[in-house]
Amino acid sequence: MTSSLLHPPAHLPPSVALHLSQQAPLLLQNHSTSKLPISIPFLSTSETPETWAILENLLLSCLRTGDDKSARLCVEKLTERFGEENDRVMGLQGLFEEAVAENDADLEELMAEYDAILKENPTNMPIAKRRIALLRSTGKLEEATVALVAFLDSSPTDAEAWAELADLYLSQGLFSQTIYCLEEVLLIVPNAWNIHARLGEVIYMSAQVSGESGIEKLLVDSIRRFCRSIELCDDYLRGFYGLKLTTGRLLSLLPQNFKPASTVINPAAGEPAPPTLAYVQRLNEIATAKLAEIVRRSNAGEKGWDGYEQAEIIAARALLDKDVAKVEK
Amino acid sequence: MAQALTQTIYRDPALFYWILFPITVVMILTGILRHYGTVLLQAAPKKEDIKGRRETRSLLRGITLRNNAPVLSRSSFQARKNYIIPAYQSGQFLKDPDAKGQPPPNPMTDPAGMEQMMGMMKGNMATMIPQTLIMSWINSFFSGFIIMKLPFPLTIRFKSMLQSGVATRDLDVRWVSSLSWYFLNLFGLQSIFTFILGNDNAANQMAAQMAQMNPGAGAGGLFAPGQDPDKMFQNEAENLEVLEHWTVLDGVEERLLDDLDIV
Repeated sequence: MTSSLLHPPAHLPPSVALHLSQQAPLLLQNHSTSKLPISIPFLSTSETPETWAILENLLLSCLRTGDDKSARLCVEKLTERFGEENDRVMGLQGLFEEAVAENDADLEELMAEYDAILKENPTNMPIAKRRIALLRSTGKLEEATVALVAFLDSSPTDAEAWAELADLYLSQGLFSQTIYCLEEVLLIVPNAWNIHARLGEVIYMSAQVSGESGIEKLLVDSIRRFCRSIELCDDYLRGFYGLKLTTGRLLSLLPQNFKPASTVINPAAGEPAPPTLAYVQRLNEIATAKLAEIVRRSNAGEKGWDGYEQAEIIAARALLDKDVAKVEK
Repeated sequence: MAQALTQTIYRDPALFYWILFPITVVMILTGILRHYGTVLLQAAPKKEDIKGRRETRSLLRGITLRNNAPVLSRSSFQARKNYIIPAYQSGQFLKDPDAKGQPPPNPMTDPAGMEQMMGMMKGNMATMIPQTLIMSWINSFFSGFIIMKLPFPLTIRFKSMLQSGVATRDLDVRWVSSLSWYFLNLFGLQSIFTFILGNDNAANQMAAQMAQMNPGAGAGGLFAPGQDPDKMFQNEAENLEVLEHWTVLDGVEERLLDDLDIV
């Protein structure tokens, strides 16, 4: 179980998080820090970076499951080890305070505290991020966006911040800004298949609201993003789902005798030529087949196929069922 | 034959207790002291200010853009290029845009450079002073003693290594003088320090000398001191300008179909 504590528990299912945080008292008890003023390796128990990573993840799990007592212990231990002034510890302390805050007045107070810290030391990234997260969670989307843009101006290589900004923009319905931010994330982590798929989803969404003129090009872009994400990660459910959705939409748009439209996209601009109709059809078929396979095998609980999230499987099945219904009609 | 004759020297056993043993203990203790001294002398890493961070990371952004350009479609890449290249060329990301075009500061007068040199000085002092003291202590108290005999024969070449301070031509190489014992300790205690102090200790002066040989190897950082950031921005702008862009999205559907059809 310790091994799963080593990984950040952001996407743990609730049951696992609960299980982890239930171990907290035991782990914390074992976790005695040496009382020697200086560390002498062969006299004190060795501490590894993992020790502290585990403690940090334990803190997050405890906060998720509402075990504030263990969380406080985690924070205290981390503070004891790294000192009050450590940026990261300050961020975790802020996170803890936010979690146990009972009313808006508490949060306001925290906000003022963050502002004071940042005024003194504007390079404190964890606190800057906490401040933005707090702004967002208290509903001040615009302020959060402004703060995040300022943050990214001073630190434009932070993938996490770019992803957060993309999410913020998306929640406000600003598609082109979202796409820009997601592309920035991809520049930093070029092989993140989930971001490729996410970008495909956002492009698809923007295609839904765009006028008739640009929709084909957007759909083609979206298809390409999904293709890339599947290329990077075999059997990626979100990728196939998106691929099926986008190719289906494109096929419904195109007349059957559609020629690879050189009219839509100007080859002189250097854009790659759109795929031919046959390709789109083939992609749609493959996506459908793959989705069906994933749903079937996952529902049967086959070994190696049980890692999918239940909600995603249900959504995929719904999509497939809709297709079947249409055919029957 | 020289080897056939075994030289016998009757040594006072007190030599062992009062010379060999003290030298070893003193060497280990100095090593430990040096380690903690260095730890204490080390200046806390200087906090970079927000402007400096912006400068470094903006340049880094250009580099990642250049390296990972294929994930972008052509139009997105073009848009980024149109934004970043003029910004680089006008020095928009520089720590202080006014200093653009001025010669880089002299490292001798640059306070940041001075600080670095102070750090190096401190490190050197922490190695030099104890070494000198102990060497002179041994020289004045114990020079000229033969303190032990190695249990194995050696060739004549080792004579200068094992018998420094004892100028006797005919003495067998296996006899070790006190001064040589000091040198052997100086170079040979690394594993003991590793045991006591952990892996990255500052006790051994060999490691310290090694670090002096190539300074900056571990320092990292994008900007070496004395380098003009503006030049680096101009360079990067040029690199981006000439970059021939291709995109990974080209023909991805063909690749994917080929891939999936085989399976």
